[in-house]
Amino acid sequence: MKPTNGEKVFYGVNYFILALAALSCLLPIIHIVALSLSGNEAITLGKVGLWPVDFTWTAYSKLIEDTNIGGAFQNSLIITLVGTALNMVFTILAAYPLSRKHFYARRFMTLAIVFTMLFTAGLIPNYLLAKSLGLVGNYGALWLPGLVSVYNLLVLKSFFENIPEELEDAARIDGSGEWRIILQIVLPLSVPVIATIALFYGVAHWNSFFNVLIYINDPERFNLSVLVQNMIQSQSLMSELAMLDPDAFRKLTPESIRSAGIIVMILPMLVVYPFLQKYFVKGMLIGSVKG
Amino acid sequence: MGSLDIRARKASEKESRMRARSALGRRRRWNMNKPLLVMFLPIVVFFILFKYVPMFGFVIAFKDYNFADGIFGSPWVGFDNYKYLFQNPDTLGIIRNTLMLSALTVFVGFPFPVILAILLNEVRRSWFKRWAQTLLYLPHFLNWVIVGGLVLMMFSIETGFVNNLLERLTGSAYPFLFKEGSWITIFVASGIWKGAGWSAIIYLAALTSIDPSLYEAAGMDGAGKWKQIRHITLPGLMPTVILMFILGIGNVMDVGFDQVYVLQNPVVINVAEVISTWNFKVGLGSGQFSYATAMGLFESLIGLTLVLIVNGIARRSGRGLW
Repeated sequence: MKPTNGEKVFYGVNYFILALAALSCLLPIIHIVALSLSGNEAITLGKVGLWPVDFTWTAYSKLIEDTNIGGAFQNSLIITLVGTALNMVFTILAAYPLSRKHFYARRFMTLAIVFTMLFTAGLIPNYLLAKSLGLVGNYGALWLPGLVSVYNLLVLKSFFENIPEELEDAARIDGSGEWRIILQIVLPLSVPVIATIALFYGVAHWNSFFNVLIYINDPERFNLSVLVQNMIQSQSLMSELAMLDPDAFRKLTPESIRSAGIIVMILPMLVVYPFLQKYFVKGMLIGSVKG
Repeated sequence: MGSLDIRARKASEKESRMRARSALGRRRRWNMNKPLLVMFLPIVVFFILFKYVPMFGFVIAFKDYNFADGIFGSPWVGFDNYKYLFQNPDTLGIIRNTLMLSALTVFVGFPFPVILAILLNEVRRSWFKRWAQTLLYLPHFLNWVIVGGLVLMMFSIETGFVNNLLERLTGSAYPFLFKEGSWITIFVASGIWKGAGWSAIIYLAALTSIDPSLYEAAGMDGAGKWKQIRHITLPGLMPTVILMFILGIGNVMDVGFDQVYVLQNPVVINVAEVISTWNFKVGLGSGQFSYATAMGLFESLIGLTLVLIVNGIARRSGRGLW
């Protein structure tokens, strides 16, 4: 069927609006990349658009030499990897029993867990608890209070519920215990959803800000979020840099250093995101249909 | 297929219940439960310790907390903390700001994902759709430190991209981040920029369940694209739109800490201080634990009430969450 004139106009406008919206998501990031690679003068005069002017790597070399960005990167990595591993183990341990029909108190436990999503204790009581458990100041405070996310738990539980029971019954007749059933039947069948949930946990840990802000006091142990936030907010860091190395600093503006910090933080995400996007979307859909 | 499935499941549930009633069945069920209880025990400990125990900490909302006496030793003051919170114009302003910013986020923000989903649904070239989706979902994965950093740098007076452009066009810059009106606009817009694309996924999924033959029939009858969207797409989306809108209202007390914290500055603090940031400053910053806890309890209770009301309304139309 040939498109009518009205349809042609409609499609034209549609593509135009979508292209504009999509570019609005990309261009600010490209602008930041350009700033991080541009010279001092060009930035101050506002000449930098989407392409670096007076190309220089100085912002990045200063960032690596004079700030703790390497350490913060490592901290972010540790927080993310250990945190996600713990999350996955305990989310699976929670989801499997709750998905079994013969499990005692299944309904009561599910309700008690969902209630913690609706009513939370708030900042101060949580902080006092973490303090009395000796978690303040170490990464335990980032990992333990969020060990199981109720949302991810419900997604995984509903997936486990849909695995045909016959498979397990057969295994049970062959003499397999619950642990073997989990490891050899349930988990291999759930690889896609487990990957999705692990990604959600991983992104949340990589991006964690508030918890690091309140629980971690030692600047050596900050993650990238808090370090970059400090760079964006404070002028003091910039003057410190100026004192350390006035010559190099004349070639830099705070803008280029800040941009470089932002890029270092989002680069790992930008690299993996296009390949993993479909898992994220799948997870969002499972969650919203059931949630 | 679905109803058969349900019937089969019901039958098997009945069977297992009958089996459970006999003594042999009870023993069998206990044996099947043993390993499950072992693996679930750490989960019970986790939820009690980290989710339920802190709720007892709410008692300090009714106490004058001091570090020496601790949670249970500090003296009771009844509702004095609340009297202070609800008579003080500063704290009343903070409650007002919280409601205002989140209401704006819900009301102004909710049409954007719907529009994006409708537009994406009409795209015929799959490479374009793929690219547009990839880019539109991207901001969701940047945290507020990054988005806030982008915003602060784009709108900065001396070197920001926006003000450079403005200066070239009109000859003068505008302090966007330091005027209350433009700060609120930027706050709401940055939330839409970060979240609209990702939220469109739910509506895109709802659109796939609309019967394509409806569009064909409408096309035969001479309905143009615009009419098809108005009379087929929009009504098909309506249940999801209403559900998401109600859910948004349920979260109205919940302005995320991060977004406000990274965007606010002392000049606009009159509109930019919300409960979560105030709790952080007054509670952890100046150690006034009782005031911050009292505010936190107020926030949690209102939040719970709203969610329950909203779910009640949604349930009446058959779309409740539980």
